[in-house]
Amino acid sequence: MGQSDRTATSHSLLLKALPKDPAMDPAGQRLAELVNGIAGKKVPVSSFARIWSLGSLNARLTAGYFAYWLRSLFVGQDERQRLKSEAHLAAALKLFGTMGYLRGAVMKIGQLLANLPEVVPEEFAEVLSALHFEAPPMHYAMVREVVLDEFGREPEELFAFFDREAFAAASLGQVHRARLKSGEEVAVKIQYPGIARTIRTDLRNFRLLLQPLCLTSDWQNTLDKLADIEQMLLMETDYEQEAYFNEKARELFTEADRVVVPQVYGEYTTKRVLTTDYLAGSHLDQFLSRNPSQDERDHFTTLLTVATFRAYFQRHWFLADPHPGNFIFMEDGRLGLIDFGCTRIITDDEWELIRDLERAILDRDEAGLNRIVATACLFDDPEQIEPERLDVVRRGVCWSMEPWLHEGLFDFGDREFFRRGIDNLMEMTRKRYTRGNPLYLWSNRFIFGGRAFCCRLKGRCEFRKIYMQELAWVHPDAAGTKENKGC
Amino acid sequence: MRISEQAKQESRARILEKAAELFIDKGFEDTTTRDIAIAAGLAAGTMFNYFPSKETLGMSLVTEALHTGIGDFHCRRTGDEELSEELFLMINSGLRRLRPLRSFLGPVLERSLSPFPRKNVCQEGETARCEHLKAVQQIIGRHGFTEAPDYVAMTIYWSLYLGILAFWTNDTSPNQEETQALVDYAVRTFVQVISGSEKEALHGAE
Ligand SMILES: Nc1ncnc2c1ncn2[C@@H]1O[C@H](COP(=O)(O)OP(=O)(O)OP(=O)(O)O)[C@@H](O)[C@H]1O
Repeated sequence: MGQSDRTATSHSLLLKALPKDPAMDPAGQRLAELVNGIAGKKVPVSSFARIWSLGSLNARLTAGYFAYWLRSLFVGQDERQRLKSEAHLAAALKLFGTMGYLRGAVMKIGQLLANLPEVVPEEFAEVLSALHFEAPPMHYAMVREVVLDEFGREPEELFAFFDREAFAAASLGQVHRARLKSGEEVAVKIQYPGIARTIRTDLRNFRLLLQPLCLTSDWQNTLDKLADIEQMLLMETDYEQEAYFNEKARELFTEADRVVVPQVYGEYTTKRVLTTDYLAGSHLDQFLSRNPSQDERDHFTTLLTVATFRAYFQRHWFLADPHPGNFIFMEDGRLGLIDFGCTRIITDDEWELIRDLERAILDRDEAGLNRIVATACLFDDPEQIEPERLDVVRRGVCWSMEPWLHEGLFDFGDREFFRRGIDNLMEMTRKRYTRGNPLYLWSNRFIFGGRAFCCRLKGRCEFRKIYMQELAWVHPDAAGTKENKGC
Repeated sequence: MRISEQAKQESRARILEKAAELFIDKGFEDTTTRDIAIAAGLAAGTMFNYFPSKETLGMSLVTEALHTGIGDFHCRRTGDEELSEELFLMINSGLRRLRPLRSFLGPVLERSLSPFPRKNVCQEGETARCEHLKAVQQIIGRHGFTEAPDYVAMTIYWSLYLGILAFWTNDTSPNQEETQALVDYAVRTFVQVISGSEKEALHGAE
């Protein structure tokens, strides 16, 4: 296929996939042109790897959805303001285009946008998170340079065996199999040189460009969330940090729990290289392709629930990146948990608030619940919250707590249940009721990610019982007394 | 005679070693040939028999490092590398050897490797350039190119390489990791130029 054919095909694919504005741009043509214009060759980039920037359809799609949303917010503005906003938008998009220079950067931005429902409407967020970003992997010569810089030795000297081909892609690098001299089979995650620094500068610039836009009355709150996301992304670039979380998580489980967190090998770990036990097993898709029995499905759903509750109650953590790649179904029935790079620690104040919320629901304390919802939506005076907002947000909270109240097996495979959660999230987004503590970005991601996973797994578990058990570990007398009164 | 040849080699090595130490300590500009001669325990006049100028000395250090780097590259090469990967490996093997000298290399490289016409072409610089380009030609030859790249291609390569060196001497990122990414990109660009296709340069992207 010739160059121009290829361009034409990719243009028509883009047209097909981009959102359409019925009034202004029914065919999506203008949006596609905007994105293609930005993706063109004219962006001066200080950084090097331009061949990847906005080169892929996926990257352009991401930009397109983003532009679509931002432009829709200009509608009410006067002409002068609108022009100014469009100029800012173009600048932000250009920068955005250059940020895609490596797989990680684009993927992270896609995830970032998918996480900000008020930046990207929920239906787009679904598209975005389904996109798969690919960039050229590091060749072995590059991997060697990183290892040599980090450890002063070649991979093949450092390890008894080191596979030159990566076996998996990571968001900021790639993962190789290796064997330690002491015999352990390990997974070695290696970061692209310079990507952490690039992400740091890009994110800062991105925020600075968005800052003056002030598109909604809650813009400051959006910026606060962006800052929270920035913080998390930066954490993910530091594998030593990830190793720390990994070790803290590992301490939570015993042999009997049947949940495995791979051991970190500190000697072979730095900010850019993370070496952990290799966990053999399959990911969700492979697991499902073998038509597992209901028992097996329930078994893994139970383990996953135990694992997340334990991290939640004992560490006050949200495992904020519950995507399928991070769970390994091991042959012997154990559940492997990897990737603690995206762990959000709940602060003490936040913890108080969510525990109050939980208690209000479990005790069926209507007035208390309303008050807490108002606080969570950042109203100083609980009376100020609009009745409609209160209703929508409350329904969301109750939906997320439903399994907590349910006696016996809870069926996460119930699509109707999952659908209700998504519908509520979309309603919240549509009505712009998304203002709140940045923590909710992560709790949402945690809940929706985990439930989407269990929904695909069609798994069931004694959710409430597990909750009581795990709570009893930390508050021996708190659990077990509450009545299930529904919500 | 043989002994004196050996002694000569030893003196030469000692001068280079002391010069490197002083350049790293005091900087290139602030080190005089006299300082070096004293440190090496030689009369200034004797030292001139080995190295006619401070520039030559500086560049000799570079040439030796790059020469060793090419040796490293041959040892490290697995034989499975793609063209761009192999070029990447060679360039990085050289940079790794240059790394201890990095703090003072800016002015040395600028004077000795300048591509602009000069009154005195630095012989050491020429040697380094020729050896490097020869290694590049060999690599390209190994990857199925029937004809040697012409002067345009080699000029493009050399410009990219000088750009990498310049960037690298200024690179403040840890372990000059930004340079590594630059090398990767530069090499892919070059391979794309000489092969006339994106496929080779982007190999593995799909
Ligand atoms: N210890 C391990 N055992 C087995 N497979 C592993 C291990 N570590 C990583 N992998 C594989 O590598 C992939 C990426 O690893 P990981 O999730 O840690 O990277 P990441 O950079 O956090 O990526 P992402 O953000 O996409 O999750 C995993 O999905 C898994 O397939």
